[in-house]
Amino acid sequence: MTAMSTVSATPKIDFSGVSKTFHVRGQEVQALQPVDLQVRKEEFVALVGPSGCGKSTLLNLVAGLLEPTSGSVTYDGKPVSGLNFRVGYMTQKDTLLPWRTVNDNIGVSLELSCRSTPRAELKERVAQMVDLVGLRGFENHFPTELSGGMRKRVALARTLIYRPETLLMDEPFGALDAQLKLIMQDQLQKITQHQKMTVLFVTHDLAEAIAVADRVVVFSARPGRIRAVRDVPLDRPRDIFKVRFAESFSRLHEDLWDELKDEVVKGTDV
Amino acid sequence: MAPRPMSMTVSTGGQRGGFAALVTTLPGLIISRFLILFGFLAFWEFASDRLVSKFWVSSPTRIFHLLVTWIGDGSLWPHLEATLTAMGLGYVIGCAVGVSLGLALGFLPMFRQVIMPYVSGLYALPKIALAPLLVIVLGIDIGSKVALVAVTTVFLLFYSTLDGIRDVDRDLVQTLRLMGASRSEVIRKVLIPATLPWIFTGMRVAVRYSFTAAVVGELIAANKGVGYLIEANAGLYDATGVFAGVFVIVILSVAMTEVLTRVEGKKAPNH
Repeated sequence: MTAMSTVSATPKIDFSGVSKTFHVRGQEVQALQPVDLQVRKEEFVALVGPSGCGKSTLLNLVAGLLEPTSGSVTYDGKPVSGLNFRVGYMTQKDTLLPWRTVNDNIGVSLELSCRSTPRAELKERVAQMVDLVGLRGFENHFPTELSGGMRKRVALARTLIYRPETLLMDEPFGALDAQLKLIMQDQLQKITQHQKMTVLFVTHDLAEAIAVADRVVVFSARPGRIRAVRDVPLDRPRDIFKVRFAESFSRLHEDLWDELKDEVVKGTDV
Repeated sequence: MAPRPMSMTVSTGGQRGGFAALVTTLPGLIISRFLILFGFLAFWEFASDRLVSKFWVSSPTRIFHLLVTWIGDGSLWPHLEATLTAMGLGYVIGCAVGVSLGLALGFLPMFRQVIMPYVSGLYALPKIALAPLLVIVLGIDIGSKVALVAVTTVFLLFYSTLDGIRDVDRDLVQTLRLMGASRSEVIRKVLIPATLPWIFTGMRVAVRYSFTAAVVGELIAANKGVGYLIEANAGLYDATGVFAGVFVIVILSVAMTEVLTRVEGKKAPNH
């Protein structure tokens, strides 16, 4: 019992005093002021804030693509050093392999020797994913033959298919139209809950953040720091299509928008 | 009075339209092109021994007769065969070595940093300067031509392969690494497929260079080959023989260019 509680008390991801400074053409640019944030196991945390406030930097730190200038990032209680293979990272730019079809892009992680998958199972899981992201009929298209939104969906399917325990998502649904966005949000929250994934989800869209997340973190304009953190008082799974009309949703939306709007104005001034 | 200017306008318009129509239809285009060739050959034939001594410029009819003789008695084929063999073998060896070296140095950046100055130095060297050395080492036979072609081709393929690897989108590599791909999986699934178009481009460019290298190698020292044919006839002050040899090379180049244009046309729609 005590062992259990210590395990659950250890956050999945722990940013403590993490700051990041970049050197751009000999100039120091502070992307992130010291940030403290704990993400629990199986928690869905949305990061919202103006452009360039360091949200993507946080994801890169968890993935081990960057090292913090100060402070520490720990994953399962251990400091992140080198690439963090426990996370699936869906970057802002869809990094699809241009010479592979939709099917082969989605399945690429299952071809790797670290999770070698029998051919039949691979095919089946790819087909499931194609259905999930609504790309049936495009299985044999190449990325250049797809729209921006379709490529995003391929990238999503490619990340979900290997069931990483933690998902890092950088504006995954930015390029999608409003209806499709809702459908994808719905699928994402179901899948992540079903597979007990921990999620760090970066978005510009406050309504999206509240709709999918357990907790919303609002960042200030650059240099980024946490301005507000709120729990979303709605149980998951939610009905994504209706949750927007709940009273608690609009109250939280208003509250967070008050925090965010000053920062967005500041962000555009820069 | 009125119909005259009208008919003039029509006829001028008709003439312009006629020329444009002639050039835009395929037979018309071919006829126009042949007219230029024909005019050139006719002038050459006329000038030979009238304006310039035939000792210097020979004449199209003589060259044609000599070519017919070479083809008739079969004396052309061994030369053609030697040139194409030297070119083909050298090309294949050069491509294989060039791509392998390019991949190897592309995957081993440390090693690349150490040896790149030497590679650049060798690349800067005109490869023809090596021809005499190659003749000394490999003899006057086809071996030295194969080597010259190979050396020329190696660098072209080496650089296009290396540039290809260095141009690979780092984000693609990172994506696969994060998925847990090993180094060799990153090479097989990202670096090599991403580099293939660069390798193909290098291979297309190298065809022309390897042909030139083969012929130049034969011009310098050989006992066979189209280049040798030219050089031997030049030694005899036989302009007809030289021109006949040059003509064979022109035909081969045109054929090669045509084939390559077709191949490239499939890849690049604007060609």
